[in-house]
Amino acid sequence: MTHITRRDFLISGAALAAAGALPTAWAQQRGPLRIGLITPLSGPQEFIGSYVKNGAEIAVDQINKAGGVLGRQLALVTRDDKANPAAGVAAARELLTDGVNLHIGVISSTVTLALGPVMQQDNGVLLTTGAGTEKMNHENYTPNVFRIGDSPDARARGQARLMAQRYPNVTRWTGLIPDHEYGRTTWAIFVDGLLEFYPALAGKKPEVLDPVLMPYGVSDFRNSITLAMRQSADGCFNSTYGGDAITMFQQARGFGLVQRYKILVDAANEFLIARGMKSAVPPMWTGMHYYPEANKGNPMSDRFIADYTAKTKDAEPMGWAAEAHSAIYALARAIEKGKSAESKAVIQNLKGLTWDTVTGPRTLRPEDNQAIKDTELVFIEPANTEKGYQVTQYVKVDGRSVIFPPSPGKAMTFRKP
Amino acid sequence: MMPAEARAARNRFLATLLCVVVAGAIFPSVANRGLVFIAGLLWINVVFGLAFNLLFATGGILSFGQAMFYAVGAYAASVLSLRLPELPFLWALLVSGLAGAGLAVVAGTVALRRSEGVYFAVLTLAFGELLHIVITKSTLLGRNDGLNGIRRPVIDIGMLHLDFSAGDAFYYFILVVCAFLVGVLWMVTHGAFGRALLAIRQEAQRAEFLGMPVQRYRLIAFAISGAITAVAGALAAPWLQIVTPDLARWSNSTNPILFTLLGGSGFFWGPAAGAAILSVVFYTTRTLAGIADLATGGMLLVVVLSLPGGVLGLLNAVRQRATRRHSGTEAADG
Amino acid sequence: MGLAEWATTLVNAMTWAMATFLVAAGLTLIFGILHILNFSHGGFFMIGAYVAFTLLTRLGGANSFSAYLLAACAAAVVVALLGALVDRVILQRLRRVEDAYVLIATYALLLVCEGGTKLIWGLGYQSLQPPSPFEGAVVVGNFAVPAFSLFVIGAGLAVFAGLEWLLGRTAAGRLIRAVAMDPWTARLLGVNVTRVFAMTVVAGFALAGLAGGLLLANQSLSPELASVFIIQAFGVIIVGGMGSVRGAFLGAMLLGLIESVGSYILPDLPGLLFFAALAVILLWRPQGLLGRERGT
Repeated sequence: MTHITRRDFLISGAALAAAGALPTAWAQQRGPLRIGLITPLSGPQEFIGSYVKNGAEIAVDQINKAGGVLGRQLALVTRDDKANPAAGVAAARELLTDGVNLHIGVISSTVTLALGPVMQQDNGVLLTTGAGTEKMNHENYTPNVFRIGDSPDARARGQARLMAQRYPNVTRWTGLIPDHEYGRTTWAIFVDGLLEFYPALAGKKPEVLDPVLMPYGVSDFRNSITLAMRQSADGCFNSTYGGDAITMFQQARGFGLVQRYKILVDAANEFLIARGMKSAVPPMWTGMHYYPEANKGNPMSDRFIADYTAKTKDAEPMGWAAEAHSAIYALARAIEKGKSAESKAVIQNLKGLTWDTVTGPRTLRPEDNQAIKDTELVFIEPANTEKGYQVTQYVKVDGRSVIFPPSPGKAMTFRKP
Repeated sequence: MMPAEARAARNRFLATLLCVVVAGAIFPSVANRGLVFIAGLLWINVVFGLAFNLLFATGGILSFGQAMFYAVGAYAASVLSLRLPELPFLWALLVSGLAGAGLAVVAGTVALRRSEGVYFAVLTLAFGELLHIVITKSTLLGRNDGLNGIRRPVIDIGMLHLDFSAGDAFYYFILVVCAFLVGVLWMVTHGAFGRALLAIRQEAQRAEFLGMPVQRYRLIAFAISGAITAVAGALAAPWLQIVTPDLARWSNSTNPILFTLLGGSGFFWGPAAGAAILSVVFYTTRTLAGIADLATGGMLLVVVLSLPGGVLGLLNAVRQRATRRHSGTEAADG
Repeated sequence: MGLAEWATTLVNAMTWAMATFLVAAGLTLIFGILHILNFSHGGFFMIGAYVAFTLLTRLGGANSFSAYLLAACAAAVVVALLGALVDRVILQRLRRVEDAYVLIATYALLLVCEGGTKLIWGLGYQSLQPPSPFEGAVVVGNFAVPAFSLFVIGAGLAVFAGLEWLLGRTAAGRLIRAVAMDPWTARLLGVNVTRVFAMTVVAGFALAGLAGGLLLANQSLSPELASVFIIQAFGVIIVGGMGSVRGAFLGAMLLGLIESVGSYILPDLPGLLFFAALAVILLWRPQGLLGRERGT
């Protein structure tokens, strides 16, 4: 066996390092245009992350088939952020140093907040595809981070507006809200909407009861349900989420809670509750990032569903897939517009960009990087089919009529009852 | 003075520590910033694991709640950095350490009353969850979204002006402080107190008969471990620049246990080896989706079932067998 | 609070208590005999629930009470078999090793359960409604009680009665208790201690699977289910005294009451009283309500 001297080792090591560094700069001009996809692929948000990944991949395929962007093919570089800031920052840092400056995908609010400074310091761009925190366009605003989907205020106020329009006689409202940041903020926004739109559209002043605080991550909601039973409200806003929402509604059936309300509005569960509970689903309005039926006839949407079904056998993808899809297209359009994939140019061209998506055209507000788009709301009811549920109504609320004016750098403020 | 054997052991330790520090110092010049970020977390995790092992291997105490100290330190440093930015960072480290020790005394007083290890383990778990709830309810601590925008500090010591606010300069500070903490843990483990703990671990009744205040010593060990873990957490705050409530959850508490088991709890550097190996594993699998649970659990099971001494135990056994084969005589137990 | 409200609070408390007892019973049984705290217990509870769910949705009968019970029993059997496997492959190998390593092995097993569940059944949320007789509410006087709450309470009481009978009045039970008290002497007297340990593990796992099946309609079904019950199960058996089935029963009722009354007094701080109660009870009585003083 030949002996490798220390000198040999050091020299070959240096050579390898140099060889690794050289082609990168050259490759950036010629090779594929890389976009980082940082999203939860394991852990508690894995379910959502899988939609984000599929949606992004479909968009990249579609764009590449049409010739790519500025003559270059797109390539996704995927990283798991595990829904925790440490992993997210590590992934972002790695990609940024490796020359990937454009990113999409983040779902977790804390990862979004963690990546803002990182993108700013290292000259990157991030388009979030479903993170819930309102802070990224307010007190934690940075020009490098964009929200290309519903703002929390457009969503909840869109729901309040619809209620005032359709159900002018339902004026006593309560909430079933999880005892954390997201729950409390969505409720505050919804109440703000009630206080604006009921007087404006129904000519009545709404009565807002104290919401019922729900625990989260637990197995039993019966105590809180009992507290809710003591109220007499006509309308109910639910922002409990996912498995908790299903458990809560399931246990509530035994009490007959939902039957006490004339109308139930759910903040953001899309079809999660309906798919879980099937024909036991309580009839409710819910907000969607994207409802395929409501966008039939939009060629982009039709093509997206066709491609999604072909790829995953799922003909009704959850909204986050559409958000990822829209994010890729936003980047593509911004790059084409500015003829450059450099961060500074992309940011400049994303701000104020209007681009076509599966939900129709969206516009990115330059002041706070928030997208203006229609809020899609559907009414879900139980059905006697294998599926167990059906959508009997759907509505698009014009985003411009409900979104708050921009206030980057400042916390959101609400009307209070 | 120190017997020759102990002095040799100490010199071996110092040599290893020096090598590790030098390797750590060179690292940023050969690695990209993503890797440097992970390396900074690695040093903090090394201290995290070693502080756990002080309790586990030396004290015979299994703590499932070390995350609470990490979180206390991280949050203390963050609150001070955001609310009292004029307070020098070294003070913030001190306060974090004291907070960790204080929390350990409170938790230990409740949890150490049972002599059976499993009770203690589960109670520390419960304490960690309680801390998590308290954090999510506290506006001062940022509730669910945590505290972000924590700056890397500028440190003035006497004539020295150390500006860590730009780039990754703070990495070197982490390296130096962690090396210092590792040294402290070595001294505690191999000093009189460590020997007393070992005696208590092996035969608590006898130790009590010999007049050792068993409960008090255990509490002190818990406090030391808590304080050092808290300082590690305080270093993590400016490095991550965001602290979130899940730093206090039991998923973070299982990290030092994983490091220790993987590397080998019987060796001082075991947790460090385990932390390094896991970092490599997580880094190389970072593009793979979804098999994280299965892979981590499976790997841990394999280690526990077939490598009770951890990776270092395996290496040691291989080395001993190789030495015996080469020399043909019984090697001294190393 | 009016009478009706007290009654509702009490029923809620008992429902929480019996659900938690169902999950905790197997856990405390294994601990009492083998001194192993099985971290993966929640994982096998979850597997039991998924097995029962699969049976009910594939073979039909989701609305029939008898099918529901049969599915729960089938889940118990399946998980019991898994328990036998776990005992053979993992626990027996760790018999001579320090307790801490076993604890960590069971934690690793929990991760394997969660990963395996995701692989086999996918990530999405599912749920099953209670079988027909237990879907609605039972009206007594002027207050209504969810029928399923009564089922959960009944199931918990039945399992408790069954365990009391098994451990107190059967030969196997006496054997188990003897081995728990003094395995060394038992071995000297010719008892096959290894087999008794294996039996206990299988029984504990069977209880986990049974609980999963019985509680299937109590909450949503997803790979997160394992971690949902863990903390409250641990709390209950610590308060009750680890190793004591009666203690778990009492501890569950005590903590259930505290949870329910607490939600009434402090609706803004759900969950805090649970931990506060845990700490207070342990400060006053470290071995738990019915725990026995043990040496190191």
